[in-house]
Amino acid sequence: MWTRLPGADLRRRWLRRRLPPNPLQAYLAAPLPAPRARCRELEFLALDIETSGLDPARDRILSLGTVVIRDLAVHLDSAWYRLVRPGRTLTEDNVRIHRITDDQAAAGLPLRLVLPELLEQLAGRVLLAHHAALELGFLNRLCRDWYDAPLLTRVVDTQTLARRRLQRRGQAFRGRDLRLPNLRTELGLPRYRAHHALSDALATAELFLALLADADCRLSEVLC
Amino acid sequence: MEVELLEIRDFLAAHAPFDVLSPELLEVLPRQLVVRYLRRGTPFPPTDVRDAALYIVRSGAVELRDSDGTLSDKLGEGDLYAGLCEADSAVTGVTVEDSLLYLLDCRALASLREASPGFDRQFAADRAERLQRASAPRAAAGLDVLSVKAADLLRREPVTLDGDMSIRQAAQLMSAQRVSSVLITEGERLVGLITDSDLRHRCLARGLGADSPARSIMTPDPVTLDGGEVLAEALLRMTRLQVHHLPVLMQGRLAGMLTLSDLARHQGSSPVLLATDIQRADGVETLAGICRRLPELQSQLDLANTRPAHIGAAIASISDALTRRLLELAESRLGSAPVPYVWAAGGSQGRQEQTVHSDQDHALIIADELNEPDREYFTELSRFVSDGLNACGFPYCPGNAMASNPQWRQPLQVWRDYFTGWIERPQPQALMHASIFFDLRAIHGEAALLHTLQEQVLARTRANRIFIAHLTAAALQHRPPLGFFRNFVLIHDGEHDATLDLKRRGLLPIVDLARVYALSGGIPAVNTRERLEAAMAAGALGRELGGSLLDALEFIAGLRIRHQAGCLREGRAPDNYLPPDTLSGLERSHLKDAFRLIQSLQATLGNRYQAGRFG
Repeated sequence: MWTRLPGADLRRRWLRRRLPPNPLQAYLAAPLPAPRARCRELEFLALDIETSGLDPARDRILSLGTVVIRDLAVHLDSAWYRLVRPGRTLTEDNVRIHRITDDQAAAGLPLRLVLPELLEQLAGRVLLAHHAALELGFLNRLCRDWYDAPLLTRVVDTQTLARRRLQRRGQAFRGRDLRLPNLRTELGLPRYRAHHALSDALATAELFLALLADADCRLSEVLC
Repeated sequence: MEVELLEIRDFLAAHAPFDVLSPELLEVLPRQLVVRYLRRGTPFPPTDVRDAALYIVRSGAVELRDSDGTLSDKLGEGDLYAGLCEADSAVTGVTVEDSLLYLLDCRALASLREASPGFDRQFAADRAERLQRASAPRAAAGLDVLSVKAADLLRREPVTLDGDMSIRQAAQLMSAQRVSSVLITEGERLVGLITDSDLRHRCLARGLGADSPARSIMTPDPVTLDGGEVLAEALLRMTRLQVHHLPVLMQGRLAGMLTLSDLARHQGSSPVLLATDIQRADGVETLAGICRRLPELQSQLDLANTRPAHIGAAIASISDALTRRLLELAESRLGSAPVPYVWAAGGSQGRQEQTVHSDQDHALIIADELNEPDREYFTELSRFVSDGLNACGFPYCPGNAMASNPQWRQPLQVWRDYFTGWIERPQPQALMHASIFFDLRAIHGEAALLHTLQEQVLARTRANRIFIAHLTAAALQHRPPLGFFRNFVLIHDGEHDATLDLKRRGLLPIVDLARVYALSGGIPAVNTRERLEAAMAAGALGRELGGSLLDALEFIAGLRIRHQAGCLREGRAPDNYLPPDTLSGLERSHLKDAFRLIQSLQATLGNRYQAGRFG
């Protein structure tokens, strides 16, 4: 047995050897961003998922959106959005077909096709989400079910950053003050439509840039 | 499936110059952007960006400063900074609020400009080009009645007579041909003009024999019009010279005659018709009734795409007619003047750049043989006219620069002393008066009185560098704004105005510049356009710069006319205060171009003359 918790990257390598070839195993090929790395040198993947409810065991993912932050700037050419088609009628063969046409995507894709796409983007990047527990809950559940292991990743949660910021200032706040649109308004960011996975991913990415007090910070200072 | 970045697409679609992009281009543009967040106090453009980019402010604010540190612009939501994609990047800035910025790589900008000519136009490197386009569409519309060429209105061959023929033969020819005037020629050459009124005043009234030569009563060397000139020009010339007939030449050859009634017939319910009604009016009340149609006329001229310069001239021609009629009414009440005088209009009427509800500015120059007891006559005369103008919707001048003020109702010699004083001792107060009285134009009476004065004044101003330096300094007091920041007008010291004073901050700076060029170059014109054209012809003002300034003048004057039409539609008195939120993004950027142009010309003139100010 382990006598002490192994470093995350050690764990990554161990998992990678242990797992059969699958999208999660492929994802684990890239090293996890080092906690000592500077934020400005890292890439972040801002993610938002829209779900039918809060329980990963019962509810399902409806859509996902991501954008990449590089050099502390949001690169919109990376914007990615997928609607998920309900139903689990796909065979493994279908899943291996990686080429997704636009029409298919517009109509919604099976999650079995979408999750590998997401993992591919996340490789080597820091996962960024607002109230990341929800995203992690669903992704961990899916990875366990399909790929025999939870999702191993570095996570930055803008809600946590916002809470710490308010606490640091000794400011009283209510739960709703920590909601994405309200935080954006407080920081002078424009109003976006809420509950659209890509809009919220972009909104989260911008919020992160606004919350990042010190551009020279290290990843460890913003990790959950 | 196209990835939807609706927020960003919609934002771009709502802001110039992206608003002209096709839906297809707008759809793919957001994906080419990079989003940056700059905390307040961050240097701008940020130093850590690898590739040069166009900056679009999504939220927040950025202050830009020239190389010498003075505020040159302030960017707010929707504003652009393209400096890094252009040659001039001397500008430095700082974010004055936390700012969210969109960056478009300069190469992506270049391909976008290639893909959309409409978009490209907004980025035309050349400000002159942009300004020209801004003022062009109205002129090109072709609906402007006053833009019709004189040649297109000629309806018959010219009626001519040799100067050696008798007055009787001239009269007989006019009757037979049913015309009110005849052109006197020597061979092919035009030498004079005889009208109905010449027959009355110069022949019958003086008891001259009908067998005398026609040449003895003709107006020699009459002012002519070229067939290629537009009706607005004809109208201007007729009102300025107080004539109703203009011989028209084509390639130097006599082609016909254009009369005031030709103009009236062509224009229908137009300024000339209104002027005709004014000439027939029998009292102030009737005149006031006619003048109530004036605001409507201004709006109509605008709707008919009449160029702002022509509208200004048309309104001035009506004020002229009104002033003249009031003077005639006064004379018929008070009897004829004891000594010759000239009634001269100043300010916007003098320059023929008037809009409805302009204040009155005028002066009375009386022949030097004026006796003390006769002063009372001119007191009555000017009071009648000034009251009449006020009743007709032209309010009294708040600065009392009117002939009804005894100070501005004086014999020629006193006026000469006034001008000498202003020129020799250019105090601020004096210069304020000068700005009104250096733009005088004879309306009624003995025009020679004013012309004599003006010639002497021009000879003095031209030679007086110190006066020109002071006039320039005064002209630089009317500074255009830097631009717009959100829905405010950004003023020099970083202050904001809620509305744009189109007159004080847009038109007057150009008017003042033109006056400096005129008085320093000995240019007799008072109309701003003519002054600038003359300065260009004389080489004092560069062709390209001058042309741009004329375009700017036209653009701002057009905005003013449209704003006033809006006031009238809302049932308010027309004013000059334009709320920035009524401007389109394009109009904002054109205005900004115009402001920059005025600023650079002010700087040029300032440098040229300031040095000599205390020298």
